[in-house]
Amino acid sequence: MPDALALEISNLRYRYAGESERVVDIRSLRLAPGEQALLTGGSGSGKSTLLQLIAGLLELGGGHGEGEVRVAGTPMHSLHGAARDLFRGEHIGMIFQTFNLLGGFTAAENVMAALMFSRIPRRDHRKRAEGLLAHMGLREPGKLVDKLSVGQQQRVAVARAVACDPVLVLADEPTASLDPENAGTAIELIQQTCREKNAALLCVSHDPAMAALFPRRESLTALAGVA
Amino acid sequence: MAMTDFTIIRRSMLSRLFSTITTIVTVAVAVGLMLVLLSMRDAGRRAFERGSGNMHLLVSRDSSPLEAVLNGIFYAKPPQAPIRWDEYERLAAQFPLEFAIPVQQGDSYHGFPTLATTREFFEQFHPASDQRWSIAQGRLFEKEFQVVLGAGAAKETGLKLGDRIVLTHGSGGSRQGGESGGSGGGGAPHVHEQFKFEVVGILGLTGTSHDRAIFTSLNSSWILHAFDRRERAEHEQGGAEANAGHTAHDEPPITAADLTPDDKLITGIYLRVAGRPGTDATALLPSVFDTLRRDRTITVSAPSDQIRKLFGIVASINQIFLAMAAAVMVSSGIAIMLALYNSMEQRRRQIAVLRVLGCSRARIFGLVVTESALLGIIGGAAGFVLCVVGGFVVAAVMKQRLGLIVQPTYSPAVVLGVIVGTVVLASVAGLVPAVMAYRTSVAKNLKPLG
Repeated sequence: MPDALALEISNLRYRYAGESERVVDIRSLRLAPGEQALLTGGSGSGKSTLLQLIAGLLELGGGHGEGEVRVAGTPMHSLHGAARDLFRGEHIGMIFQTFNLLGGFTAAENVMAALMFSRIPRRDHRKRAEGLLAHMGLREPGKLVDKLSVGQQQRVAVARAVACDPVLVLADEPTASLDPENAGTAIELIQQTCREKNAALLCVSHDPAMAALFPRRESLTALAGVA
Repeated sequence: MAMTDFTIIRRSMLSRLFSTITTIVTVAVAVGLMLVLLSMRDAGRRAFERGSGNMHLLVSRDSSPLEAVLNGIFYAKPPQAPIRWDEYERLAAQFPLEFAIPVQQGDSYHGFPTLATTREFFEQFHPASDQRWSIAQGRLFEKEFQVVLGAGAAKETGLKLGDRIVLTHGSGGSRQGGESGGSGGGGAPHVHEQFKFEVVGILGLTGTSHDRAIFTSLNSSWILHAFDRRERAEHEQGGAEANAGHTAHDEPPITAADLTPDDKLITGIYLRVAGRPGTDATALLPSVFDTLRRDRTITVSAPSDQIRKLFGIVASINQIFLAMAAAVMVSSGIAIMLALYNSMEQRRRQIAVLRVLGCSRARIFGLVVTESALLGIIGGAAGFVLCVVGGFVVAAVMKQRLGLIVQPTYSPAVVLGVIVGTVVLASVAGLVPAVMAYRTSVAKNLKPLG
């Protein structure tokens, strides 16, 4: 589906079990292929929950939620089990505030860890991972991530997110643990990389300084549907 | 090299190296113990199953049939009560027998027992049902004071053809039996110093108790003992007067012709009832057995029955050992489970990240079970090595201390069975941590930890 939207959310509502208040309430959110958007909201506004729903890491069923999430035209929650995991691995990249790198593994292995769950031929994995890291200015792919600087770890995290040429990159407070100067560099890196890979980028943050860096800004409260 | 599931497993094991090694050692010890017990049991059984060969019955004057078999076939100790030659002749003529081979034990050389017998022992008796005697070097004894060595005895003593030895009375481990090819021994009262035996032949290896024996003719042994007895008798009746005039060396040499019925004693008879050629079970055997048993002065035993009985006793002890080994195996499984269970706490975040990257729950489950099975495989292999080394040491010690040749052999089926069992056990032990891993919530474990 070449013309499919990168992300299409309609009437998505979610609440945690045993809680009456909705954590997520979005009437409509659409992201064109390659489009970049910033989603703002205070802490506890359900930003992380939304990203996990998009990635299919939380279940909509069981009375917790309703609505639809389509990634590259595919309804995420109609996929189950391994099929959904495979789809996520191949189409969605995720970047976290704390990077969530695999400790005890090298930079290249962290990137290859994303490739090993895709259908990309195994013999290409190392070349691809090292090429990507080199392109991002990381010259030591064989170094353990635990030994890398914060800036270098950030690069590994970004490289891992785009390793499978995803349609959509989800970034969860990617700069929250960085100082303002590094934060600017980091977000630039993420945006630049996504542009090169033609991946849409949905970045959630409560950092007002980020607003200037994104052409499109959405606020979670504004997206909320009228029930 | 690309990243694979195995890379993840390997890193996981290496990151907890101490725990991994202790777990593997625990498994190895359990597997080693299990294999040693199983292989020794097999080796022991095999050692006992051979030796009685094609004999049907053993007649002796031991106090019990089991003792008769242990003494008469496995050379535990020389039987104490003898059978007179005329009794033997009467008994042998009583039934239709394929063979009735007289044997006499009592002497030894450097702890290796002597068996005095006739040539029928080599011609008609087979040491194991599937094996006949073979002569590796030289020939069988043809006249008095010649010996033929069992393969084990030859190897252990280092005696060669043409060497001359003296025998010691009794089977004790006395090392004063004399020097090969040289002068008489250390002068112990029971050394038959006056008679030198020439090594004329060495038998081929049979893998039976007889390999440790030294064979000679009945006449040689009788002459030896007749000489001893006469010397002793003279000392007793002679007193001071006799002592002045006589020494052992003045005694005229005794020959076979001088032997009296009192000298012609044996300690056992190997019997085989006549049957149709090629068949072992003969209809006559039960009736011969019964008739012989009615004679209260002798002990008649069917070696195969006695060995089966002996193994009945040994087997129950063995089962206790095996149960203990099994308990050690189970606890090694628990060790695997604990090691992985403890690692789960540290691995939750790793699992969550892998899930984000596209790894399915089933694959996470598989990773943990595979790691568990791998601990079993490595532990099992290490256990096998441990068992081979341990078996080698035990066999060496038994050979040195007891002169017992036990060859622990590892039947592929047993080894494979134990190792497969270990891997299955290890995999089962991995199930609990694997289920924990399977159920790990991605959302909860990705929360910013800083």
